[in-house]
Amino acid sequence: MTIIPAAAVPSFDRAAPFPEVQAVQAWCRQGDWDSVARHFAQLPTADAVYFNARAVAEVPGVTTFAGEVAQAQPSAILPKLLLGARAIELAWEARTGAQAQHVSQEQFAEMHEFLRFGEERLLEVTARDPGNGAAWAMRIVNARGLELGQAEARRRYDRLAMHHPHMFFAQTQLLQQLCPKWGGSWEAAFGFARQCAAAAPEGSVNALLIPEVHMEYWATLRGADRDNYLRRPEVLREVAEAALRSVLQPSFRPVYGWVSAHSHFAWVFSLAGDHRRAAVHFRALGGFASEYPWTYLGDAGQQFAKHRDLALKEG
Amino acid sequence: MVEAIEIDGVPTLFAPSAGRTAAGLIFRVGQADETLPLHGITHLVEHLALHDSGLSDYHYNGETASVYTHFHLRGSESDVVGYLGKVCDGLADLPMHRLETEKEILRTESRTRGGTSALPLWRYGAQGYGLPSYPEWGLARLRPEDLRWWVENYFTRENAVLWIAGERVPDGLRLRLRPGARRPVPVPTSALPQTPAWYTGDDTSVVFSAVVRRSTAASVYSGVLERELFRDLRQEGGYSYTASTSYDPRGDGYATVTAYADALPEKQGAVLGGFVDVLARLRYGTIDPASVTAVRNKSLENLNHPEIEAARLPGHALNLLTGQRNLTVDELRAELAAVTAEQVYAVAVEAADTALLQTPHRTTADWAGYAAAPTSSECQADGRRYAHREDGEVALVIGPEAVSIVREHSCSTVHYADCAAMMSWPDGARRLIGNDGIVLHLEPAMWAMPYQEIGALDAGVGPARHLPQPARDPASIPRPAAAAPAAAPPAPDGGNVGEIIAMVLLGLVALGLGLLTLPLTIVAIVSGGADSIDWAFLGCLAVLTGLFATPVVMLLRRRRRRR
Repeated sequence: MTIIPAAAVPSFDRAAPFPEVQAVQAWCRQGDWDSVARHFAQLPTADAVYFNARAVAEVPGVTTFAGEVAQAQPSAILPKLLLGARAIELAWEARTGAQAQHVSQEQFAEMHEFLRFGEERLLEVTARDPGNGAAWAMRIVNARGLELGQAEARRRYDRLAMHHPHMFFAQTQLLQQLCPKWGGSWEAAFGFARQCAAAAPEGSVNALLIPEVHMEYWATLRGADRDNYLRRPEVLREVAEAALRSVLQPSFRPVYGWVSAHSHFAWVFSLAGDHRRAAVHFRALGGFASEYPWTYLGDAGQQFAKHRDLALKEG
Repeated sequence: MVEAIEIDGVPTLFAPSAGRTAAGLIFRVGQADETLPLHGITHLVEHLALHDSGLSDYHYNGETASVYTHFHLRGSESDVVGYLGKVCDGLADLPMHRLETEKEILRTESRTRGGTSALPLWRYGAQGYGLPSYPEWGLARLRPEDLRWWVENYFTRENAVLWIAGERVPDGLRLRLRPGARRPVPVPTSALPQTPAWYTGDDTSVVFSAVVRRSTAASVYSGVLERELFRDLRQEGGYSYTASTSYDPRGDGYATVTAYADALPEKQGAVLGGFVDVLARLRYGTIDPASVTAVRNKSLENLNHPEIEAARLPGHALNLLTGQRNLTVDELRAELAAVTAEQVYAVAVEAADTALLQTPHRTTADWAGYAAAPTSSECQADGRRYAHREDGEVALVIGPEAVSIVREHSCSTVHYADCAAMMSWPDGARRLIGNDGIVLHLEPAMWAMPYQEIGALDAGVGPARHLPQPARDPASIPRPAAAAPAAAPPAPDGGNVGEIIAMVLLGLVALGLGLLTLPLTIVAIVSGGADSIDWAFLGCLAVLTGLFATPVVMLLRRRRRRR
């Protein structure tokens, strides 16, 4: 049973479920580089580094803070990684979330300026440390923003995969690029999602790519096609299997990305009318959620609360 | 062991070698010594000098490079004596009766030899070391006196070195050359305000060059770069078939490292990205010591060739000619063995700072921290301004010192003083090429300007830098669309039937309309023209009648002219 009041809106803050991420954000605000560096040094996976760096990048003032350290320590990796992460944040803020045709020339120019600044630093990070998964994953984001094309985005993923064959955050970023909206194809997007989900060890978060790619496809449909898509038995079956292989496995641990995973599964099952299945994920989420994919339905908080309440009542 | 001797005042390097004798006479002159209006002169001299050698069928007996010209062969001792003697005699008295024929041969050669690299042009501009990128535009205007002057200046005893690899120096070998002076290599120019820089190429490949201090470590860097590119782009990525590098001393203490990778169109983004990453890896010191060892060992192995001293003679001769240090095989072996990854890293830093990258078409390298090589001029000319006849966004400015074509965000300016050459067509078209490589093409018909302005340009640039071009096919000369002459080709006889039918039909309609208009007009006049609508209607009828009648009249007149 959920411990929060039924009407409450969940926390979409990606740091909220992770006290250590809140701590590193605080150290950044305080300018405590040694603590920041110690924290990153003990992170066990490329996914963990990526998640923490992107969370740190939300802190205003990181450009100055990390910039000063980068100048003092020209060969240090971490300050440049954080500068790269911050640049992504600023670039996509400048672009706004609008569709391309509603983004002005000036907004694109500003976005590209941030991206070039970050890309130069990340290029140096991967040159100094070719196994730096977090930097490669951010460079996959940059390849998309800088419109470097399918082949280059894929190459970046392949360089990364030589060192980290199951890096979830890199996979979810490449999946975006493989979708038709970024010049890819559904064949490539579904193929990649299925291949990554199948190859990852059971109990890992990677099968989240399955609800993600279905969500992307759903978002391109209109009218009755859209309403019916997630109810199709083969879609529902594939998503349910993905949940079973990942977040519902006994071996699953709440790694970075777990909130997003349960959010996506809850969303698919809710829209498919499978409230019993959705309820499992809503319960697991507690008071946390990721904004995506709920924003697709309108106000993310309200939509989440509405579907959660329905699921918990019926399921 | 290499023995240094002198033959007829020409410094000569001799190394023992079994079998046939090899020899080469190198002059310190090449394309980089030319100017754009003279471009091709060294090559033309080389061809003419070889003409009477009896071996001119084999073009590989002569080579014109950026800073040297090399006449070489392998044969019997008497072949060597005969060939070199005839080359010197040819230089002393060029067979000018062959001038036009050899010019034609050179034009054909440039067509069959394929594209030249654009890298020198972008790095150095339209002068000096940049000239090998340009076609041999000087050929058409070169006269016998130009060639004689060139030979007297450059193809001299003091400006030559001979090398011989054989059992001995052939008896009777004479080099009858004029006296002169040793010519230093040209001072490099620059068309790049900032490096590393990039420009977009017109194919799918990636090409790179860097200028680094000449050293054994630099040659190893070139080898390591090739290995890394080949591994990343071909073996691991499968994006490229070819990935190669070359290391070429420039003759002035520096060397050019050039790298190339090809790509399938759909993979060009990945080749560019992978290429940039390999350069960055070396630049930031991620250098596999095994790569350095492998390159070093391969170079050392090459030195184990039994006649290595003889094989290195041309390079040795060139070093002597350009005043560069020459390493003996033992010295080179010792230097190679001592090259470390740190030294290669230091070269990589130098290379990254001077890099010039040609990216595949429709791609850029600004995202990787490279500056765009200039495609536009910094400032525009001061002078008389003229409008384009079709494009309101463009203006032409002709001033006393420079000419510009100005667009909203860019500008092409050529200062007459910095104009490398100007192509001129009999129809008035002009193309100015600035020393910085900026090109300004002017089609007089497209600008609202008096024709005398062309004369102002001609005078500004001066005849020494004019490159007269043959007349163009009138159909290919751009003209404003409105003024396009309706120069309809005369209709063949078969057009007669169609014409007659058209005339009859058009004539009948015109007649009908006329018969309708006439009585109505009379009625209108008689009735006193009270109603204005009637007049408008009549006017329309009259115009329509005219519209149908006019082509009939024109066709009739044309038929009359044809007879």
